[in-house]
Amino acid sequence: MAYLVMATGFILILIGFYGALTNRNLLRMIVAFTIANTGVHLVIVAIGYMHGRTAPIIDSAVAASDAVLRIIDPVPQALVLTAIVIGVGVTALMLAYAYKLYESKRTLDIGKFTELKW
Amino acid sequence: MVNALYIIAAAMAAAFFLGLIKEDKRGLAYTVTLLALAFMTWVSAGWLWAFAVDGVLTVEIFTAGTEPPFAINLRMGLAEAALTLLVNLTGLLSAIYLKDTLLELGRRAMAVLLIATMALCGIILTRDAFNLFVFFELTVIATGGLILFSDANDDGRALSAGFKYLIVSQVISVFLLLGVLFAYHVTGTLNIDGMNGTQWALLNGGAIAFFMMFIAVVAELKPFPANGWALDIYESAHPAFSAIFSAASSAATVFALDKLLLIGGADWLPVATGVGILTFVASNLFALPQTNDRRLLGYSSIAQIGLVLTVLGQRDILGESTEFIAFGLLVSHSVAKAGLFWLSGLVAGRGLSDWSVIAKRPLLVFAFVTFICMLSGLPPFPGFYAKWDLVRLLASEGRLALLALILIGALIEAAYLFRWFGYIIKREAPAEAVVCVAHKVLPVFVAVFAGWALGFVWGELSGRANLLLAIPLLFALSFLLLDWLPAWVKNSIAIVGMSTFFYLTYPGYDPLQLIFAIIILVGGAITLLASYSAHGRRVGFYPSAMLMYAGLAMLIHATDTFGFFAAWEFLTIGSYFLILRGKESEPHALSYIIFSLGGAFMILAGFAIAADGSYHYLIESLRQLEQPVAPWVFAMLAIGFMTKTAAIGVHIWLPGAHAEAETDVSPMVSGILLKAGLYGMMVLLLTMGKQQLYGVELTHVLLWIAAITAFLGNLMAIFQEDAKRLLAYSSIGQMGYALFGLALMNHLGWLMALMFVINHYIYKSMLFLAVGGVAKRTGTRDMYKMGGLITLMPFSFVAVLIGIIAVSGVPPLSGFGGRWIFYNAILDSDYRLPMVVIFLAGPIAFLYLFRLIYAIFLGQLKDEFRQIKEAPFWIVLPQMIYVVLLLIFAVFPGIALRRVDEYLTRFFPEGGLGWATNQITSNYGYWNPVAIMITIGVIFCTLFAWLLFVNRKAQKVKQFNIVFSAERPFRPETTHFAWNFFAPYRKALGFMVQPFVTRFWGGLTELLHSTADFSRKLYNGNGQTYAFHFLAFVVVVFFMRLGV
Repeated sequence: MAYLVMATGFILILIGFYGALTNRNLLRMIVAFTIANTGVHLVIVAIGYMHGRTAPIIDSAVAASDAVLRIIDPVPQALVLTAIVIGVGVTALMLAYAYKLYESKRTLDIGKFTELKW
Repeated sequence: MVNALYIIAAAMAAAFFLGLIKEDKRGLAYTVTLLALAFMTWVSAGWLWAFAVDGVLTVEIFTAGTEPPFAINLRMGLAEAALTLLVNLTGLLSAIYLKDTLLELGRRAMAVLLIATMALCGIILTRDAFNLFVFFELTVIATGGLILFSDANDDGRALSAGFKYLIVSQVISVFLLLGVLFAYHVTGTLNIDGMNGTQWALLNGGAIAFFMMFIAVVAELKPFPANGWALDIYESAHPAFSAIFSAASSAATVFALDKLLLIGGADWLPVATGVGILTFVASNLFALPQTNDRRLLGYSSIAQIGLVLTVLGQRDILGESTEFIAFGLLVSHSVAKAGLFWLSGLVAGRGLSDWSVIAKRPLLVFAFVTFICMLSGLPPFPGFYAKWDLVRLLASEGRLALLALILIGALIEAAYLFRWFGYIIKREAPAEAVVCVAHKVLPVFVAVFAGWALGFVWGELSGRANLLLAIPLLFALSFLLLDWLPAWVKNSIAIVGMSTFFYLTYPGYDPLQLIFAIIILVGGAITLLASYSAHGRRVGFYPSAMLMYAGLAMLIHATDTFGFFAAWEFLTIGSYFLILRGKESEPHALSYIIFSLGGAFMILAGFAIAADGSYHYLIESLRQLEQPVAPWVFAMLAIGFMTKTAAIGVHIWLPGAHAEAETDVSPMVSGILLKAGLYGMMVLLLTMGKQQLYGVELTHVLLWIAAITAFLGNLMAIFQEDAKRLLAYSSIGQMGYALFGLALMNHLGWLMALMFVINHYIYKSMLFLAVGGVAKRTGTRDMYKMGGLITLMPFSFVAVLIGIIAVSGVPPLSGFGGRWIFYNAILDSDYRLPMVVIFLAGPIAFLYLFRLIYAIFLGQLKDEFRQIKEAPFWIVLPQMIYVVLLLIFAVFPGIALRRVDEYLTRFFPEGGLGWATNQITSNYGYWNPVAIMITIGVIFCTLFAWLLFVNRKAQKVKQFNIVFSAERPFRPETTHFAWNFFAPYRKALGFMVQPFVTRFWGGLTELLHSTADFSRKLYNGNGQTYAFHFLAFVVVVFFMRLGV
């Protein structure tokens, strides 16, 4: 199960990269990166998964005393939340850029923004 | 100490607090921002003081009250304190610089600036891998935000650059995040030191995890070729932001990479080296054809960080010196680059020559000079000490290819930086004035101050003599503070200072050094008399001239290779600034500094190879060098010294540099500066003597070079129309003679060389002053435009007459003594063929010398010059002193040479001269200067009287008593006898003086330029291409490191 998720994650990353590199439209590129980010998040979750264990929530179902043996690794799960938040921030920033760029040239084609070169 | 956590807390709190301030209370918001940044700076500075001065130990800061790996920990140590100080100070100064912009943009922009500074501090402080990722992403977001706000020209260009940056950083963040998580998976910890403790990197999966983290952080350092986005940011963003991006971001990222390399271990060092050196060389090369100032600075920034990366990659051999070297290069880069970016905000135009507006502001010029010297690794800045140790250690471990690449890259960088400086000083300034407002100028001068202060600190840390404490250098630098005084006051101080220094140091010299010391210090003082003719303040002249003299004085005093090399660099920079002062000297000064620095790098490498890693290496120790290193060291040092004496092949800088220099500068750079090269050669030959490389006697090679230099130098001199160029080419020939004497490696050869050293100083200074005086009065240096000046400028005539008699080596003047010793020396040696060549050079010298006096002083006076007067008094006075000196030296050569002769016996016991009261004997004959003087005097007087007698009835030909066959010549000057004076000789020998060497070096420059111009098309401006570059970079590095 975990390997399936991880493989899916990597496939999503590759799809995202492919999309970002082949689409010239700024918005499509941003969406492609979001897909790649989702892939990364899946991979992270998959890394933390341990076969046959339960969610790392210590309550009536899992006692604190034997939690070490029964729950999966909680660290990647905590980290993935942070990563998602950061991803949202970067995506928002990119969208703001796309908006501003569209305002300046009335186009979303990345190939049109090449005055700076060499 | 204030807990370092407050650096982060203060920035966060202030940023949140800004949100509570009303939008229109911008002054308050700005004050809060400045206070927060000032507080952060103060905390870092306090820690730095505690570590550096009080000797406090490194502190671990545990968050959440738990030790790692269960919570994030930060670390504050010496390096962290220094770097956070750098980051916070850059942030603070940029905020001050951005005052107008921030007040206009409001609190949001201020909050972003605070977060950017905080995030960079976080990257430096954190010891947790995931936390590192978070701070990197914060940096990305804050950087993106700042670019969004700081669109400098409001034309959307910065926007596209920012978006390109975000695209690449998205890809980078994927790699970093995956790398961190897999590393955690393999090691079970997120703590960087915890990861370091395990041998996990050896496992295959671990290696890939590490690779992903490594490559992501490396990518943030803008490695070649995955750096197009960074260049676009540098070019388009607000300069204050670029200052942060270049100085602070790079410093923080370099430190992050250093932490990672600790985990990766020795296996990853070559990767860092490879990426670093490729970036260094390629970026410097691509910077060559740049015309936009900020893009050029961008290329230079990337290159410098590449060099720091290279140094980190050499940790295996640099060992404990790594920090000293890496930090030396890093702070030099950061301070200088921040300063230059801030400075660029004061200049309206974006072309390199638009910067000429600052030429009118000496303080800004001084700032610029400080920055480019820091970047070029010149003394007394930290980069110099770093470069010295880096080269020393690389050479001792035999990593010579890397060493060569570093020096080539550094030379290219110095070339484009100094070319830029030439534009600033020499190009026509555009109409817009410099924007000089206090809050924009302050950061620039804080950077200047920091640069000099760091130079002092590195001097103290180096464990060598602190260059900023050397008396001659301090004397030269004090003229920077005195520059507001009138020129004559400064001139007097300079003359008194040099004389006093000579008086105080006089007892310490051996006879060889004494000759050079007299020429440099006393001779320099006499030459300076001519400078009294200048009026006004002459801003910049005295610091440059005194820097050159300080370098020369330190050169003679140097006992170890470090001091020698530092002095060599000082005299090179000083003389470069002097030469650049000439009217048309921009290209010549540039070629001078490039050749000189190239030569200096040869010397540096030669010393480093000789030292074989030892920390203090005395010049004396060169004596103990053995095969197979010795001949190579010898060759490198000799080539380095010969660039200064302008031996054939590396001579092309000299004619322009000496001819275009100001009237009183030409004698300094010709009569005095050239001696530095000869001094170097003497030191080299005295210590290393004869060396054989592949069975070839190297002194024999030198002999040939010297003979050809003398021959071709003289030959080229005869075809010059420009009197100062003629003298300059003649110097090439004269240096050839001196070098020849040294290369003979016998007693008389050396005596002859020393005779040439003294003579050349006297007569070349005199001739340059005389010709310079004439040029000043006539307004031209072309000899065919002069003529008949003998009656109008009698003193100059006498000086030139005496000068050419001395140069040509006919009796009775000292030149004859030189020749006499020379011929004796040749008879003592067995090299027949080069001897023939150098014999031929003699008569050729007669040709150009005759032309000099004939074309200028004899013949018909031109109409337009009927009213001109003798040259100014202060230019004539030193000439007359030289005339007297020449006569004294001609009659009593023994006063200088006798002691040297005895001294030389120590090294060459055979073949000394016999010194009777007024007769000097060799194995082949004798020379009696007094008798010769009397004989020649009698003959001269007789002939002169006879001439006067027969000339009584001569008819005077009037000037217009000439007919051009009833035609008006198309170009009247071409009918002048003095034009193309030696046309028949040119027909016969002209093929030998075709500018082969000039064409070779020109072709090489052209090749570099066109390669760079072609290759930089790689950066096509498309964000997707840049992302692709990065992925390709990842794949290539991966296969090179792990794939095999």
